[in-house]
Amino acid sequence: MTHFLVTRILSAVFALLGVICLVFLLIHLIPGDPVEVMLGESAQPIDKETLRHALGLDLPLHQQWWIYFKGLLHLDLGTSLFSGRAIVDLLIERIPATLYLSLISLIVAIGLALPLGLVAAVRQHTPLDYGAMGFALFGMSIPNFWMGPLLILVGALWLGWFPVSGREGWNSVVLPALTLGTAMAAILARMIRSSVLEVLGEDFMRTACAKGLSSTRAVLYHALPNALLPILTLLGLQLGGLLGGAVITETVFAWPGLGLLMIEAIQQRDYPVVQAAVLCISMTYIVVNLLTDLLYAWLDPRIQFTTGEG
Amino acid sequence: MRLWLPLSIIAVWAFLAIFHPILSLTPDAIDLTNILSPPSLEHWLGHDELGRPVADRLISGAHTSFFVSLCVVALGVGLGSLLGVSSAYLSGWVDVGFVRIVDVMLAFPGLLLAIALAGALGPGIGNVILALGIVGWVGYARLARGQVLALKHADHVLAAQAIGAPPWRIILRHLLPLIMAPLIVEASFGVAGAIIAEAGLSFLGLGVQPPAASWGSMIRDGTRYMLVAPHLVIFPGLTLMAVVLAANMLGDWLRDRLDVKEQTSRRPS
Amino acid sequence: MRISFHAYRHLSDIRPAKRSPIGSVQKRLHGFQLNWHMWLMVFGLISIVGCTESLPDYTLRFGLANSPTNLDPRHATDATSARINRLLYSRLVDFGEGTVPIPALATWRELSPIHYQFTLQEPAPLFHNGARLSANDVKATYASILNPATASPHRGILQIITRIDTPTENTVDFFLKQPDSLFPGYLVIGILPANLIARGHPFQKHPIGSGPFQFLERPDDTRLVIERRADGQRVEFLRIPDPTVRTLKLLANEIHLLQNDLPPELVTYLSAHKGIALQQRQGANFAYLGFNQLDPVVGQELVRKAIAHAIDREHIIQFVLRGRARVAQTLFPPEHWVGHASLPGYTYDPEEAKRLLKKAGYDHAHRPTITYKTSTDPFRLRLATIIQYQLDQIGIDVSIQSHDWGTFYGDIKSGRFQMYSLAWVGVKSPDIFRYAFHSDAIPPVGANRGHFADVVADRLITQAERTLDRQEQQTLYRTLQARLLDTLPYVPLWFEDHYALASTSITGYQLSADGNYDGLSQVRWMGPPSVPPKHIARLDP
Repeated sequence: MTHFLVTRILSAVFALLGVICLVFLLIHLIPGDPVEVMLGESAQPIDKETLRHALGLDLPLHQQWWIYFKGLLHLDLGTSLFSGRAIVDLLIERIPATLYLSLISLIVAIGLALPLGLVAAVRQHTPLDYGAMGFALFGMSIPNFWMGPLLILVGALWLGWFPVSGREGWNSVVLPALTLGTAMAAILARMIRSSVLEVLGEDFMRTACAKGLSSTRAVLYHALPNALLPILTLLGLQLGGLLGGAVITETVFAWPGLGLLMIEAIQQRDYPVVQAAVLCISMTYIVVNLLTDLLYAWLDPRIQFTTGEG
Repeated sequence: MRLWLPLSIIAVWAFLAIFHPILSLTPDAIDLTNILSPPSLEHWLGHDELGRPVADRLISGAHTSFFVSLCVVALGVGLGSLLGVSSAYLSGWVDVGFVRIVDVMLAFPGLLLAIALAGALGPGIGNVILALGIVGWVGYARLARGQVLALKHADHVLAAQAIGAPPWRIILRHLLPLIMAPLIVEASFGVAGAIIAEAGLSFLGLGVQPPAASWGSMIRDGTRYMLVAPHLVIFPGLTLMAVVLAANMLGDWLRDRLDVKEQTSRRPS
Repeated sequence: MRISFHAYRHLSDIRPAKRSPIGSVQKRLHGFQLNWHMWLMVFGLISIVGCTESLPDYTLRFGLANSPTNLDPRHATDATSARINRLLYSRLVDFGEGTVPIPALATWRELSPIHYQFTLQEPAPLFHNGARLSANDVKATYASILNPATASPHRGILQIITRIDTPTENTVDFFLKQPDSLFPGYLVIGILPANLIARGHPFQKHPIGSGPFQFLERPDDTRLVIERRADGQRVEFLRIPDPTVRTLKLLANEIHLLQNDLPPELVTYLSAHKGIALQQRQGANFAYLGFNQLDPVVGQELVRKAIAHAIDREHIIQFVLRGRARVAQTLFPPEHWVGHASLPGYTYDPEEAKRLLKKAGYDHAHRPTITYKTSTDPFRLRLATIIQYQLDQIGIDVSIQSHDWGTFYGDIKSGRFQMYSLAWVGVKSPDIFRYAFHSDAIPPVGANRGHFADVVADRLITQAERTLDRQEQQTLYRTLQARLLDTLPYVPLWFEDHYALASTSITGYQLSADGNYDGLSQVRWMGPPSVPPKHIARLDP
């Protein structure tokens, strides 16, 4: 178990370092002179040199990387080119909104996917199954940026139940969370279905049924807990899609989170902020995946025997 | 039904995308007298906010999405499977290093990385393909590697090694054909993902630039006028959804047909 | 070989698919009843969503397309900042609804052609920090603008001032380098408290003026809350860049007022609603295409003339702006005292445009490419796409670059563009010609952002400024405008009308002639609020 812990955490640290490297290199991916792109063409040479120096782009690459990394260790991500504010402050301002939206979306997703997936699995090859899976297929295929405006039209304008956009009042989260949550629920429901189907085929389920357990109890108390383990891992992975999708959804709903910050920064050519936002979201993703894996290992004693295999 | 419906949608999409130059369309022709005109008999999808025919722009957008998704998936499958197979076959340090790189790439939420890359590279369809390609190859590589790991000790591979066949020959002749099925399934979902991702980037203004048409930018522009001209947002949205749905259904059908286990992969949403 | 669990998991989808041996279990589970818990899970989430009444707070919300970039009047140059600064600060001189300067804080006398005396009107207003505005504050404000270290973009035209004296508490004497009959019209900048200027107070973050509204808070870039000093009525400016969202928010009564920056279709749509009232006025905001004169392509007069002939302004106004604009030939509309109604403009003539382009050395094989900068505002982008198409028709390739408003405006201000479109807003006095076109007014000193340099124009500007006779001045300015139309530093487009859309729950908002927000001083809720706003007690400093 300790071996597993150590290797898993080491691999997360390695991934983290890799992510930092790639994010650091992002600014060098800008075609041509990054300083010129940030300032716009025909910028004054003096302005360009000032910015180049301020960003440390006049140093050799390894020195730049070291400065960037040292800054990270001190939680110093530089200052925004656009607003002149410390990027860390910008992130701290935006993180709660994104976390909140992700959490509510996750609840929506699980709340939709669990019943759908269960029903589909238990009533496999019945109209209920086809209906649930058809619904899931639709959910997977509707892009967030189309679903969002339609929800605004219906929920905010026709029904008048929710604010159009922004983060004002407790109910402003509903429409963006529905947009994000349904997309995730669609994929999740399919996974839950196959996961439960697999468990239903296991020996202990036959035993449970043979013992005369009611089918409801058998599914809820025996099949579901066993199917939940793989679903848990999946949730961690799905969070990536959620965080990525949040960028578009936040834009549609003007939700003041990290995703919107990133899009605004791209439009403002404020690349240090783009870097910081990508880093922040990716780090969250790594940490969440690490935690789900650890949780998985903790819940499932078999794990320690399955490590170390290629 | 599960096969023919999606297949025909994909066929129409591909046909329009490929043959749109000979259809004498005018997707960029601005006609100020026709601004926001609703669907009519002559122009059955109406005109957009600049008086351009929506139908023509949809077909032009089909071209964009077809071209982008084809390039992205071809790039991903080609590069990904080559790297994945080689890594698994060569094993040792190469493989360890490869797994590390894949881990790092997977540590980014896919769409997020694509948006950041497209933002850094600057708007334009070429950069969209590049950004989605950089993000997309990892999934295929991981899949291919996993498949080869399971197969490399299969009898026919060992036999080929025993008679001294060179590694490239074993990879090409004995391994790749066997792992094609899951790759094909993954690729068909990949097409759906790439279509949505391209539209998403264009929706954010990072994809095609005016006057070129993409379903994503059409939806974005359409939402501006959804109160007065809902056809501008409904038609591109339905078209996009239909094609993505078709690609997903085709993927499902292929998966069942080819007997491939469901991937827990990330798909850009 | 060992692979971490992490990698193992990602690479583990290699098990061959199992055909699930479900059949037998399935049969036994046939009697399975859908548990009501499950449905609760689905519908519970949906049903908690219903009731949404938030407490009324009587804050009046005003939707803006762009947030003000600078609340320090010494630095502000964009229209939104200028309009909000009018509420926060007061100024010596104003233009009111007309085109000639009228007394605001002060009346003035021309003691000699180079000596103006301003006398503050009694009682002078209080600053928001409680101090009374005095001559000293006026002097400090203008001295600060004239100080090169402040880097104020308004310094250029005010450099005519040689000395500022304050003989008494409420008189200020301005001495000029040379006579300038337009001088009083230059003193429209908001007055800041002298002691805070001395301390280097960050006015852009925490504005303190003596205007009818005081600053309350600016929690982030998207919101600004100010309070009416007379009665504590709060006004919140919300930045809502997307016009559709602004429209929807007005319909949902989440905002109560918005002004300009909507696609004409949405104006028509909103005005048809019962709860929304439309006000419209002919405007004088001059929309134009600006060019970088140092650029090898658009630096050529022939290319600019071709562009002027290629754009079909009449049709754009008729169909796109839905008649809510009139064609412009020059910066000032005909009703202004320097306006030039009889100036022959450029007609839409693609053939002539192609001929001019050919003369400039371009043809089918060799098409010029122009980068056209605009903001991300969808309506501006839409106009840009039309202009792109019309220029394509005469053989110019245009690529559109759209940026966030702040970035776009920053680029324009510092001259980073090839071609762009923008509008001059609230221009009242012909000193704008020096500010925008004189070869001495290159940023950061002025707003000659395209580096336009024309000796004839320079001479006409100086001559007109030095002339004290109104009639002669008018003639000179008209000659100057004809010259500018001929050399085309700008391709003139149109004057857009102003419109305000207000929820019928408010009353008394008067749309001003130049589109400023002064009407907020008079706006009231329809019917008195049943509960008086809490903050009303601690009022009037």
